[in-house]
Amino acid sequence: MSRPGAEGGDGRPRTVEVLTAWFETRAGGLLVPLAAAILAFLAGGLVVLFTGNNPLGVYKAIFDGTGLTYLFPWVQGSERATAARNLQQTLLVATPLMLTAIAVAFAFRCGMFNIGGQGQYWIGLIAALVVGTHVDLPPALHVPACILAAIVAGAIWGGVAGVLKATVGAHEVISTIMLNWIAIFGGKYLFELGGPLQGEEEFIPRSNDVTASAKLPAIWGTLQPLHAGIFVALAALVVYHLLLNRTTLGYEVRAVGFNPEAARYGGISVSRNYFLAMAIAGTFAGLAGALDLLGWKFRVATNDFDVGMLGFIGIAVALLGRNKAVGILFAALFFAALQVGTSTRQLDPTVFPPALAVNLATIIQALIILFVGAEILIVSLWGARRYVRRGRRVRAQPAGGSGGAA
Amino acid sequence: MNRSGWLVRMTVFGVVLALAAVAAGCGGGDEGGGGEGIRVGLVTDIGGLDDKSFNMLANQGLERARDELGVEIRVLQSQSDADYVPNLSTLAEEGYDLVISVGFLMGEVTEQVAKEYPDTNFAIIDYAYESPPSNLQGLVFKEQETGYLAGYLAGLMTTSDLERTNPEAVVSTVGGQKIPPVDRFIAGFQAGAKAANPDVETLNAYSQDFVDQAKCKEVALDQISKGSDVVFQVAGGCGLGALDAANERGVWGIGVDADQSHLGEHILTSAMKRVDQAVFATIEAVVNGEFTGGGVTVFGLAEDGVGLGEISPVVPQEMLDQVDDVRQQIVDGEIEIPETVS
Repeated sequence: MSRPGAEGGDGRPRTVEVLTAWFETRAGGLLVPLAAAILAFLAGGLVVLFTGNNPLGVYKAIFDGTGLTYLFPWVQGSERATAARNLQQTLLVATPLMLTAIAVAFAFRCGMFNIGGQGQYWIGLIAALVVGTHVDLPPALHVPACILAAIVAGAIWGGVAGVLKATVGAHEVISTIMLNWIAIFGGKYLFELGGPLQGEEEFIPRSNDVTASAKLPAIWGTLQPLHAGIFVALAALVVYHLLLNRTTLGYEVRAVGFNPEAARYGGISVSRNYFLAMAIAGTFAGLAGALDLLGWKFRVATNDFDVGMLGFIGIAVALLGRNKAVGILFAALFFAALQVGTSTRQLDPTVFPPALAVNLATIIQALIILFVGAEILIVSLWGARRYVRRGRRVRAQPAGGSGGAA
Repeated sequence: MNRSGWLVRMTVFGVVLALAAVAAGCGGGDEGGGGEGIRVGLVTDIGGLDDKSFNMLANQGLERARDELGVEIRVLQSQSDADYVPNLSTLAEEGYDLVISVGFLMGEVTEQVAKEYPDTNFAIIDYAYESPPSNLQGLVFKEQETGYLAGYLAGLMTTSDLERTNPEAVVSTVGGQKIPPVDRFIAGFQAGAKAANPDVETLNAYSQDFVDQAKCKEVALDQISKGSDVVFQVAGGCGLGALDAANERGVWGIGVDADQSHLGEHILTSAMKRVDQAVFATIEAVVNGEFTGGGVTVFGLAEDGVGLGEISPVVPQEMLDQVDDVRQQIVDGEIEIPETVS
């Protein structure tokens, strides 16, 4: 890896070399997603500009709307109260996103693309709901029982795709997408009027509330407050990190992910790991469903199944977080902040007509996902820049001989 | 040297961005100083403003109130169910005089927020509380009344020799999902058709969808093949596919919620649910200081809250007179109309 620039001699370019190398290796994981996000905001700003509005004003409103201003000590009074409410919502949304992102990341590390996070989320939520409404337990046991049910259900839902891949080679992308639809329409069937799990209100197609003993305690706020589930999600990130990097299972999963043939040659059962990785991925997504239900939803209605997107946003979170626990933590916070900050209540109605506000928010979100997904573009831009530099230097030193072949 | 220059530029760029973010954070304080007049906020459900159904109609009523009564308005769209509570409480927090939520799925959360903000008036479309707090009013409709009128007209048509009809006395309904407002339309329609002629057979099916036109079209085509010559859609945007099927097969279609006569000559009439009227009337009550919460306001034919839209010119005058008679009987309370589909 010796580069022409490193032979500069006077020491200063050498420092730059070291810095650049550091960026590319250590911070490389950070720099690319950051650059992607910045590019996305610039592109989003262009869209705002095209609508004839000031991008800075819009981004200020979005930033205020995320509630992150709560962290600034000089924000006081009613503004602080508003910021607190917004921050509660951001953290509330981030909680399940961390988990659905792990569900994607874990499968990813085993070389699989789990698009079934949404279905696993619903199945987990439904399982937790059944235990939360139909079983009587003391509070100390009820929440863990609901969560256990959700985890098992999520594992089964993910495991089905894993088994199909391991035994008959059915591609997990196809099977998880189909399992999503089974979960969505199954859920609708369960809670529609006359459905087996429809609640007591005869004419409303939704479930009963979970009993008070199955609700997670609120820790911050009054209306739709932040709940204790965020600690469970944070713990899950730690578990994910340890499981992947400090256990035999994690080693095998990663080995299969790097190269299934080599792993098989090394004595690792590839099909067993396909199954386990998908089942474990499913537990995390199922847990997300349970936390949402026990933390703030408390019930589910048929049309909730139409708009659930957490499993899919989880894919973007995992990509942005580069499948690493810390990365997922920050990416989940980022996407949650984006979602809360771009909700129509944060955008000035005199600047954006209500109908336009939703579309603008969606465009900005979509651009960010696009740029994050296209991070290879940023990497190649980075590479092209180096190539241009090198070419220039080579041209400046004609004695160099074997030109661009370096 | 070049490389360090690039790094410096990136760093400067980053710092500028960070500064911009900080500046954005501490700016604040530019809210309008509590403008005069009445301020009314509307929170849509996840269907959004362009649902061509009750969210859109509610917004029309709101805009009419702005134009005619001079109130200041604000619409917040909900992109997920997590938005309901923050949207409602944001409007209450900002001191709106009336906050209207659209759709029965927001029932509990609206009540929850209303209790937290006792000085703000709340109203909700399509939800009837048993004992709401005194600052919250439910607004519901007698969909069965307009459904009955539409069914009565359909019953007369299917047994007539007019164009777009076949010899079989069959009419049909395409529901979105089996939820109460949908079923009230359908129950009224079936009762009305039977009242016009007891021999009329009524078909009913649900598409399980309010958006995808193809699904409703499929259901309607099936019904038409079984002899239906009047198809009543009760499925919002999905139902447009059912009306399309009626057009294709040369039979009649009946629109729902809004007046859908603009869709073409195949539209017999529309069973309108005047969500706009209910929203406007509620805002007017607030403006006049007559708003009372703690109960339910029912909008029926008598209150102009439901009714038939434009009727096709093909329909002869004597049929129109008959429908008008029935309308009067309903207003006078002489007809008992079922609310659930048996």
